[in-house]
Amino acid sequence: MNPFNPVPPERTSRFRRGPGRPRRQADSGTARPGATSRLPLALLLAVLLPLLLMPLASIFVFAGRDGLRGFLQTLAQPDAQFALRFSLLIAFATALFNGILGTFAAYVLSKYRFRGRETLNVVVNLPVAIPTVVVGTSLLLLWGPIGLLGQFLDPLGIQPMFAPAGVLLAHLFVTFPYMLGAVKPVLDELEVTYEEAAYTIGANRWQTFFFIILPALRGGLFSGLLLTFAHSLGEFGATVMVSGNLRLRTQTAPLYIFAQFEAGNIEAANAVAAVLALLSFAIFMLLQRFTQQRSTRGS
Amino acid sequence: MHRVDQLNWRLLLQRVIILCLAGGLLLYAAWPWLPGRRGPAVRTIVLYGFSILGEMMNGAVFPEFQAEWEARTGERVELVSAFSASGTVTNQMILGVPAEVAILSLELDALRLVEAGIVPGPLWRDLPHGGVLNRTPFIILVRPGNPRAIEDFADLARPGVGVVHPDPLTSGGAQWALLAEYHSVRMLGGTDAEAYAQLEAIWHNVVAQAASARAVRTQFESGFGDALITYEQEVLSDRWRGRLEGEIVYPQSTIFSEHIVVILDRNIAPEQRELIDAFVEFLWSETAQRIYVDYGFRSVDEHLNAANPDFGLIPFPFTVDELGGWPQAKREIVDGIWRNQVLPEVGR
Repeated sequence: MNPFNPVPPERTSRFRRGPGRPRRQADSGTARPGATSRLPLALLLAVLLPLLLMPLASIFVFAGRDGLRGFLQTLAQPDAQFALRFSLLIAFATALFNGILGTFAAYVLSKYRFRGRETLNVVVNLPVAIPTVVVGTSLLLLWGPIGLLGQFLDPLGIQPMFAPAGVLLAHLFVTFPYMLGAVKPVLDELEVTYEEAAYTIGANRWQTFFFIILPALRGGLFSGLLLTFAHSLGEFGATVMVSGNLRLRTQTAPLYIFAQFEAGNIEAANAVAAVLALLSFAIFMLLQRFTQQRSTRGS
Repeated sequence: MHRVDQLNWRLLLQRVIILCLAGGLLLYAAWPWLPGRRGPAVRTIVLYGFSILGEMMNGAVFPEFQAEWEARTGERVELVSAFSASGTVTNQMILGVPAEVAILSLELDALRLVEAGIVPGPLWRDLPHGGVLNRTPFIILVRPGNPRAIEDFADLARPGVGVVHPDPLTSGGAQWALLAEYHSVRMLGGTDAEAYAQLEAIWHNVVAQAASARAVRTQFESGFGDALITYEQEVLSDRWRGRLEGEIVYPQSTIFSEHIVVILDRNIAPEQRELIDAFVEFLWSETAQRIYVDYGFRSVDEHLNAANPDFGLIPFPFTVDELGGWPQAKREIVDGIWRNQVLPEVGR
């Protein structure tokens, strides 16, 4: 099991089972019966309420304050629309790029044996551990006009930083491990017999990859893409460093929220925050549903 | 066999729905960039400014310029802008953001641009009014009803008064405030020693500090301290929005902050030159200066300021020029007195 894997499939499905029948069965087996067994649950809820649930709820309470019309009007402002669209486009592009790159990396790391494989394994997972602000800084120090490479590119008129390309670079960096984390465990556990069978009937590496491995990876690919997309949508730390925060040009939705909040336009900030929250909920639900489905089908 | 078929249908339907949703989202995101949707390329002006300008620039000043330019040339131009703390904006420009025009909250930041080689020299001094776009005095904000009876900076030096102050190490506003706390004494006839005593006593009373003028505002609103030293403009704009909880106290003597316009020639393409020059010229036009007054800034044209009845009277105002300009004021007062003498004394 990959230690950096953000969503181990079995864990999440058990975690998500919710108040349905299977859980009660499990409870009666381990917990003491009667009223005492409710106390821990009540305590947990009492802690979670101010910690998680109330802050999230307040976004929507505030968003609904001026009514739906006010909410939609705030949302319809050109810079809010731009920020949302730009964020979504970057998220799609990031998911596409890292979908391909991450799968390739997972394939190489899982199927090939070479010296330094473990080191490389750690390196590609590093972005999970590095603070995103540090990622932003490091990108600036490489590609920025005073950066190691940037100082040679700048005279040629190539300026990746403070432009959409810079935002994409930052998101690719930050979200790289998610695809890998979703795909590699599946690849690691994939039985080699199918592959071997394919080779024995004369398939080459590419054919084996496309017809044997890729179909088996579908689940991992899907959850990896969703995770990458969701993380890209919410990325702030690295983006704020490299985007230049230009309204209508490089301002992503999280940056818009922050800028509007700072300027005291809480309604504008909150409207976009509510949309982002809803989108993430949707993605998360999809992911949960999907992993649950897979684990029940698998068992 | 039948069950499996059913399951597959449901699965298929689910997949189609998910695909449609994802496709819809992509379509929505890409809509303005789709071929045929894009109008002819629109020329833009890239403006970076310090935080309190944002609303006024995007909401009033630029639309006015846009209309004027369109009437004159028939061309529609757009503003691309970013607003943040003055120091942050300056750092971004040093790192290379493509700003064409910048408006900074104090000349020190502009001088940092010169130092970093972003601007060849203090060229803003050749602009109208020496590059000063507008001004706003530093005032004292107190709790409703003024329970501590604070009438001037001297009252902030009284023992037991809690002062909330932005951090001069990061905030431009805080540096203006320091000059006001110190030099106002001398403006009212006091000696250097008395000025020093007041600055030190005020700093003994500082109960909370935050990185920016805006952050410190939040601290004050959440209940810290009895008084806050801040821009008049910010307090006025809050009052007009009905958000002000507190009262403005106008000191007898205080500093007027001066906001500087910097043109970044190296980021301006030759074909942009005329547009940028027209925009900068517009910033000092009477139309624009009137907008500043409407938004609570004091215009550089004194006679326009009468239009705003909310501006309080300050009998003995001063600017940083009386202290020999920013480099000297920074050296002598901010660094020489506050950092080297007051800070060690109050033990921060």
